[in-house]
Amino acid sequence: MTVNPDAYFAVATLLFSLGILGVISRRNLLVIYLSIELMLNAVNLILATFSRLHPDEGGTMIALFMIGVIAAEASLFLAVIVQIYRKKHTLDSDAFTELAQGKKL
Amino acid sequence: MNSSLPSLIVLLPFFGAGVMGFMYLFVPTGRDLRRFYVAVGIGAPLLAALLGLIVVGEMLTLPDSASIASPLYSWIAIGSFEIDVAFVVDQLSAVMLLVVTLIGSLIHIYAVGYMWDDQGFGKFFAYFNFFLGAMLLLILADNPILLFIGWELVGLASYLLIGFYHHDTANITAANKAFLLNRVGDFGFVSGLGLLFVLQNQSGFDFVAIFSGLGGIDATMLSLVGLLLFVGAMGKSAQIPLYVWLPDAMAGPTPVSALIHAATMVTAGVYMVARFSPLYNRIPDVGLFIAGIGAASALLAALFASWQNDIKKILAYSTMSQLGYMFIAVGLGEYSNGIFHLAAHAFFKALLFMGAGAVIIALHHEQDIFKMGGLGSRLPAVRRTMLVATLAITGIPIFAGFFSKDAILAYAFASGHTTIWAVGVVVAFLTAYYMFRLYFVVFVAPSQQSSQSSPLVPLPRSMVWPLFVLAAGSLFLGFWNLPEAYGGGTWFSHELHLADHEAHLRFAEEYVLDGFNVLVALLGIAMAYRKFVRPAHPLNPPVHRLAWQSALANTLYIDTLYDRLIVRPLRGLSDLQDRLIDPKIIDGSLRGLVALYRGVAAQSARLQNGNLRWYALTFLLAVSGISLYLLIAIGGAS
Amino acid sequence: MIEMLETSLFALLTLGVLTGGLMILLARRPATHAMGFFIVLLCVAGLFALLHQSFLFFAQVLVSVGGVVIVTLIMILTVNLRETDLPPEPHKTRWLIGAAVVIAPLSLLLYRTLTTLGDAFPPVSDAFGGTRSLGTLLFHDGVLPLEILSVLLLTAMVGAIIIGKKEQSYDRES
Repeated sequence: MTVNPDAYFAVATLLFSLGILGVISRRNLLVIYLSIELMLNAVNLILATFSRLHPDEGGTMIALFMIGVIAAEASLFLAVIVQIYRKKHTLDSDAFTELAQGKKL
Repeated sequence: MNSSLPSLIVLLPFFGAGVMGFMYLFVPTGRDLRRFYVAVGIGAPLLAALLGLIVVGEMLTLPDSASIASPLYSWIAIGSFEIDVAFVVDQLSAVMLLVVTLIGSLIHIYAVGYMWDDQGFGKFFAYFNFFLGAMLLLILADNPILLFIGWELVGLASYLLIGFYHHDTANITAANKAFLLNRVGDFGFVSGLGLLFVLQNQSGFDFVAIFSGLGGIDATMLSLVGLLLFVGAMGKSAQIPLYVWLPDAMAGPTPVSALIHAATMVTAGVYMVARFSPLYNRIPDVGLFIAGIGAASALLAALFASWQNDIKKILAYSTMSQLGYMFIAVGLGEYSNGIFHLAAHAFFKALLFMGAGAVIIALHHEQDIFKMGGLGSRLPAVRRTMLVATLAITGIPIFAGFFSKDAILAYAFASGHTTIWAVGVVVAFLTAYYMFRLYFVVFVAPSQQSSQSSPLVPLPRSMVWPLFVLAAGSLFLGFWNLPEAYGGGTWFSHELHLADHEAHLRFAEEYVLDGFNVLVALLGIAMAYRKFVRPAHPLNPPVHRLAWQSALANTLYIDTLYDRLIVRPLRGLSDLQDRLIDPKIIDGSLRGLVALYRGVAAQSARLQNGNLRWYALTFLLAVSGISLYLLIAIGGAS
Repeated sequence: MIEMLETSLFALLTLGVLTGGLMILLARRPATHAMGFFIVLLCVAGLFALLHQSFLFFAQVLVSVGGVVIVTLIMILTVNLRETDLPPEPHKTRWLIGAAVVIAPLSLLLYRTLTTLGDAFPPVSDAFGGTRSLGTLLFHDGVLPLEILSVLLLTAMVGAIIIGKKEQSYDRES
């Protein structure tokens, strides 16, 4: 074993940071969705590393569950994107400001 | 000894006022209720006077210095500390009670004739009874709190009555002036009471408890209390510098003037000082100050009176002058003489005002004495009674004023205050001069063009016979306090049981002093006679050629001075407040705050732009900050 | 030799993960995003394999790569984005740099915390992460979560179908 856990953690942290960056700095809804996926995968990677590190398969199990949750989330998120696109014909997240007071759709 | 009569005496006029006020307000105007008003309006004070006589008679059967208390109910009870609503008749308040109720009743009777044709007959008598009741409350109160309530109610009643002819703006102004100046005095009075309350540590606040606890109070603080209380007396009793309301108070109907000047309002200050005599006895310096103010007021008022043409203003200034005498007496510690002069003055001043009112009514509301003249033969009854009153105020022997005034002057001389005595003598001379000036010009001097032409208004009987009662009082009251030098026993002073200072003169000295006073008075009369009965020129309203003459005729421009010194700066301050402080500074700061909040809110609202990315960024900024902190906290680790 | 292979594989997969992530982050066209996404998922699956998680590797490949990526692609095709429908992002670079600065402490903290957990992988048996051991564990400890997950997946499927329907009735009302 030459690759030590820190390397895996570094990869996971980088992936996670890329995900946050994408969520904050991009306006494309698709990119935001994919960035969330990146973060989830980063977490998965960390879980797998834990599991291997201890060694205990509990982490693997949680990672497995998360893959299922990711699948569910993906289907819903994509459905919502499709629906939103149908309504406004844009994927710009800045176009959706209904939360602000006094602004109408 | 307890009795419910004193409470009844106080409540009767208030009850009358309430009934008449109710009738006046709620009975349709078409009905003539004047007979009802007369019955109630005169009945209440007469009954009060009768009860007063009974109470005083009862009190005389008691041993010396006993009093009749009449507790109604406990008003304030905090632990062992109590303030009762209670009335007390002792020797001092008995005298005041008799003076106020008897003279008050006579003035009420007189007012029936005077006010008969007035629209507000019922209202007038409601106010009148209220005034009397307030004064009785003041006199019979057994603690300073109750006295202060009476004090304030008197101020209120005088305000209502001075402004009774409220269709004329000048009258309203006069009423406001009286009210405001009294507030100035009352502020001093209530401050004094508060200070006294703080200083004394008795369980009660009635007069007996206060006076028994005086020994434990620092003399300096006591002087301050005395001064503050006297400030209240200055306002009520029209002394320098708070006297300017008194001449203006002539705006009210003449019976009001009579009531204010004789029986009620202005005597309250003298009464108050006499009531607090145990306190003032401890602080002779303040007493001397009071006497000084009294002397100065007496002199100033006498000077003003000598140059006035309005009959009521002459009498107003003469009241102020006589009140000055009273304050000389009470200030020097001769309380019973002061009260005696108060009683005597009540008789002859009421008489003078009622006579003046009769003349004014007879001449269709003419008040300038130089437009009267020669009325002696046409109003003989008024002339005779007025002559008695004038002689009494001048201090001619056997009249009441002679004994009361000379006792004061003799005491001032005997106690070594020769300056005050000298001022008193000068005032006596001036009094003789201006009173006989009034008398001669109105009744004796050849008549003027206008007054002869129009027929006189016939006077109703109710306006004439009270004059005779009062004249009798002015004639004989002096014998009640006949000095020992004339074979009397100063019974009045003995009955009062006040803590007078003692100063004796030999009889010979007293004769000389009295003779001198009479001489001075006769000199004043002679001067007035030469000027107004045997004048070198036909009698005309005086033309003031010299500066000091016109200055005196305009009362030394003191009203203007007050206007410049106090009223205008205050008004300027109010304007400043109105134009600058209120809108700019106070409102401005508020508006500024509002604008600030709005600005901040607008800026914050921009943060809430509905853009999720921004929300996430804010969220992340916080997370980042926390992370940074944690990084520093775990710091050197790795 | 094996170690060399492992190290080089790890480097390759890491490169793949970062490349894919950057493709998602920086690219403009949806096709590129999908490509990047595909690469990331595949590389993560590879990293799972390196970590001796054989079942996870298969699950990742089957579900994520074979399911999610395909669904995403279908979505992209369905929507058929035109160039004009893509959001204009004039300040993208500025935003990226700013956000990176903001995120830096968090990432650093995350990394610092994670690296305190262990220094070296202990040796494990060949059965670790395999179907048999994981299945035993699931039936021992994870039955309820598994069932809940299955219900969740069913619900998500129904929900996705309803949301994705054209012209819903409640749309017309609003």
